[in-house]
Amino acid sequence: MSFTLRGRIESRLAAALAPLLAAGGLAAAVTEWWPLALAGTMIGVGLAFEVVLDRSLDYQPGWWSLPLAGAELAAIMGVVYALGISAPLFVALAFFAGSWLLAQILMHGVFPYLRLSYGEDGGELGRAGVLVAVLVLAALALFGGVALAMQPPTVRLSTGIHDGPLVLDRAQNLVGEPGAVVRGGIVVTADNVTVRNITVVGGENGIEVDGAHNVTLHDVRISGAKLDGIHVRRSSVSIRDCLVHSPAGDYAQGIDISFGFDLAPSRVEDCTVLGGREGIVTHFAHVRVEDNRVSGTSLRALTLTEMSMVVVEGNDVRDSLGVGIFCGDYSECEIDDNSVRGIRPDHASGDTTRAGVGILAHYGAKAVLGNNEVSDSPGGTRAVLGAQISDDE
Amino acid sequence: MNETKQCAIVGGGLAGLVGYATLRHRGFTPAEIDVFGTDADPAGQWRMRAAAIRQRRMRSESDGHCAPRSFPGLAVRASLRQKRPVPVVQSWLGRYHPTVVEFLEHAEEVRAESGWDESFRQRRVRRIAAVDGGFELDALGRFRHVLVATGHPGLAFPPELEGDPRAVHAYEPHEYAERVEIVGAGMAAATEWLNALNSGSDVISVRRREPERRPLNLPRHLFTRRGLAAFHATQRDERQALLRGWSVPSYPAGRPWDEPVERARRARRFRVAAELNGADQVICATGFKRGYAHDPLLAALVAEHGLATAGNWIVLNPDSTVGSLTNGERTLAIAGVAGQWAFPAADTLMGAKYAARGFARKVGACRSR
Repeated sequence: MSFTLRGRIESRLAAALAPLLAAGGLAAAVTEWWPLALAGTMIGVGLAFEVVLDRSLDYQPGWWSLPLAGAELAAIMGVVYALGISAPLFVALAFFAGSWLLAQILMHGVFPYLRLSYGEDGGELGRAGVLVAVLVLAALALFGGVALAMQPPTVRLSTGIHDGPLVLDRAQNLVGEPGAVVRGGIVVTADNVTVRNITVVGGENGIEVDGAHNVTLHDVRISGAKLDGIHVRRSSVSIRDCLVHSPAGDYAQGIDISFGFDLAPSRVEDCTVLGGREGIVTHFAHVRVEDNRVSGTSLRALTLTEMSMVVVEGNDVRDSLGVGIFCGDYSECEIDDNSVRGIRPDHASGDTTRAGVGILAHYGAKAVLGNNEVSDSPGGTRAVLGAQISDDE
Repeated sequence: MNETKQCAIVGGGLAGLVGYATLRHRGFTPAEIDVFGTDADPAGQWRMRAAAIRQRRMRSESDGHCAPRSFPGLAVRASLRQKRPVPVVQSWLGRYHPTVVEFLEHAEEVRAESGWDESFRQRRVRRIAAVDGGFELDALGRFRHVLVATGHPGLAFPPELEGDPRAVHAYEPHEYAERVEIVGAGMAAATEWLNALNSGSDVISVRRREPERRPLNLPRHLFTRRGLAAFHATQRDERQALLRGWSVPSYPAGRPWDEPVERARRARRFRVAAELNGADQVICATGFKRGYAHDPLLAALVAEHGLATAGNWIVLNPDSTVGSLTNGERTLAIAGVAGQWAFPAADTLMGAKYAARGFARKVGACRSR
């Protein structure tokens, strides 16, 4: 097949119509913008590819579509990453694959079937092509405009120390300039809040999120909190690249996400938690805990309990007292690819379940384990009080 | 006789069938189209030639078919018929060439589905005369729109072999002598080398120039809109030179073609020569006569209406119509080999479709309809 540039653009946009509408439907269903941002990125990258291919190829054999799709996917992923579009990977890949397959069917079957001279016209679709192209571009512009208009404002926190607590009760992006410090904590009570690049010192909780959805905490550093470094209740949050350390109280915890089981899943990734009684805790919550580093805790490093559903993957847990990863109280935990080292027995407690256990399933919980490395932890891996441990293979 | 009918197709071969199926697809009824030809079987001539050179596979690909729509092509049809994806995958990899049997079955299907036999008139048209609002075809009637698809104007023999009892054209039925000279270097010649070697003959390939190796009759870009746009933008002299250049013999590259010849060369059963040298049999794989002047109907059309020509070619509009005889009320278009001025690969099925679609568009837009 050989396309003209106009044919490439018209065919590409016509094939993008259904995925764009699907993205709109998905965005409405999940009340988030990422499906449309993803669809827009796919269309933009696709059009850029068409321009480049048009200049470099006179004729495109059918089988080239596959390697070109691979290259296009890589470019889309690069743009998605660069723009920080928070699309779930599997859904994004499935969306791309579905859209690509649909485009192949349309361009090699449906369009030639409907339009007699489709191939001869270099993929041009005549007046219908122009109409559809305008429609798709107008829809993109409309969605983009609405998305832009609905973006929360960005508030910049200047370099220096600011007295807290700061209460964020409206949607906003709070972005700290280098060296921005809040003393006394931050409280988030509104949906669609992002806190980025801020150091929090002291406070009862370092950052408290209460009854809020779609909250992102990115690149925050918390120290000296009396209770929790990050305290999340009835909320869905995404916490990335954080550091929680130097707790101020005996009962302080690193990150506690609780009582949001019926809400959108939360996520903690690439965080470092040093010290405290428990490092990362979930109660009755749906959470993904991934690629974190937790050490120096005095009760448990990771606690996933009270009927939580948790994926624990790729974490590095070390040098803690009693228990490394705890899956308890009828929770369901998928625990894969974690490294657990140096969990010391808590002789003082007299509790046999705290005998330096790397991974502990407790009281009716179900833990599915795969490819974890438990070392230098005399308690090994255990299930007690009706809990079950199984391999995921 | 005074009634002016809608459409006539002059020529009952594959290009005529493609033109007919395209018009039917655009909503013309069999009663609105008359097809004039000498053989009711539109694949008759082609079948005979393919049989003569023992052709088993088409040089064309999935889209080399007679149906008006590009999709489904022959690969998809074969996959559906065979209930396996192999033909489609081969097509995707650019390795699908339908068998001659598949192609002929397909042509037969198009013939049956289109209602070809309802419109076919077994008559040879000798003269097309432009009249007000249409064209007179001999005494067969007056038609608003005429598609001329008369095909190749006869087999070409090297002059020195005219009347030589040893000589047979590749497209005529023949067997193979013990020692065969095959004149030519195109697809038919390459096929005949293999045929003769397979039948145990020693082969001398007589050729004055080396063939090009390419998958299709012409470079691929000439089948594309962009390639055609560049071609249509050329001036008369340049276009003639291009058409002459593209007429060099060619056949596809690949082991199926090269290995048997190489084996025979090593066994001294195959060699190349520049001149004939007294073999028992001379097979002329020299194709067809070139140029409209060899077609009496076209020659008369040009002479009587003063049509513009350039060398061997009738000058056509990019959509294959004859500019001076086409207006808002009537259309004269040329399909098949004589339509090369508009589409260099006019003698292929893709070329036939190109002319047919141009004709159908023009006819569909005509205010007389």
